[in-house]
Amino acid sequence: MHEINLGYEDILRKQLELAGKNYELLSSRGIRAFNVMGAIGSGKTSLILKLAEALRERGLRVGAIAGDVAGDDDYRRFIEAGIPAVNINTRDQCHLDAHLVEHALEGLPLDKLDVLFIENVGNLVCPADFPLGTEMEIVVVSVTEGEDMVRKHPKIFAQTDVLVVNKVDLALTVGVDPKRIVADYGKINPHGKAILASAKSGRGIGEILSALGF
Amino acid sequence: MHEYSLAFSLFEALRARLAGDPPAGKVKLVHVRQGELLSLSHEALKEAWRIITEGTELSGSELSIELVPVRVRCPRCGFEGNARYIGEGDRHFRIPVLSCPECGARVEVVEGRDLAIVALTVEEEGGRGG
Repeated sequence: MHEINLGYEDILRKQLELAGKNYELLSSRGIRAFNVMGAIGSGKTSLILKLAEALRERGLRVGAIAGDVAGDDDYRRFIEAGIPAVNINTRDQCHLDAHLVEHALEGLPLDKLDVLFIENVGNLVCPADFPLGTEMEIVVVSVTEGEDMVRKHPKIFAQTDVLVVNKVDLALTVGVDPKRIVADYGKINPHGKAILASAKSGRGIGEILSALGF
Repeated sequence: MHEYSLAFSLFEALRARLAGDPPAGKVKLVHVRQGELLSLSHEALKEAWRIITEGTELSGSELSIELVPVRVRCPRCGFEGNARYIGEGDRHFRIPVLSCPECGARVEVVEGRDLAIVALTVEEEGGRGG
């Protein structure tokens, strides 16, 4: 037996380079982009709609990319709200990647946008491994998913900038203490900002915007 | 869930690398380094490798996966080194914390998201070698 040294060729480098390219393009147009991740049904779309409404009241122009395995339901909600949007169907891929986003950006009026929300595929595992070129990463978890979501998917929570605990208005009904979710998050992500919110009632929207730097 | 496509990328990268300079013998082990931030099932990656390499010159080779600890750099205080981990046990229960161990600011990941083939173990033709 003998060993052959092959040096070090990172096969994921291309993904990082593409993400860097997206970031350059967006910042050259003065657009602040956010990668919104979270489980299926956590309320990502509703939250983006509420954030967009508040940002538009401040005179900012908001666009969106809707990532889903199939269908155009989220995309249609953005369009109905008057938000320029592009739909990405990943088919069977469980996450967005920088390459898909690069193409989606071609379909957006970048000259007319200040803020871009990229809604990732509903999944708490794979999206964490694929940077898209956004300025910050937001993860949305709803109280209806249970108190243990951070402990069950620690890696994605360790890597994100902002945690939104959504549907807090249902916490009593489902018997979940949102503070437990926030405490778990604080342990693995001391620099992250956790916010209790309800995309339905609008609770926490202002706080989220300040955490995003608005 | 993306183990198959990553195994295929590893396979393509290795084949391209060996195209001009094939090893003198049978590849037994393919040494891979994986950053600890990547969520990968080693079982699934190895099984995907077995299926992908079937009927090729790499058939019968196995992946040997070495985990690379997460290294971080702090933009605020300049710290550079291994990330702090919380939890105990195997890699699924030890989570790298992406805050600076010195000052608590958010850090940049220097190493820990990569997946690379670094070496091969080759058995010489016509013998068990040594």
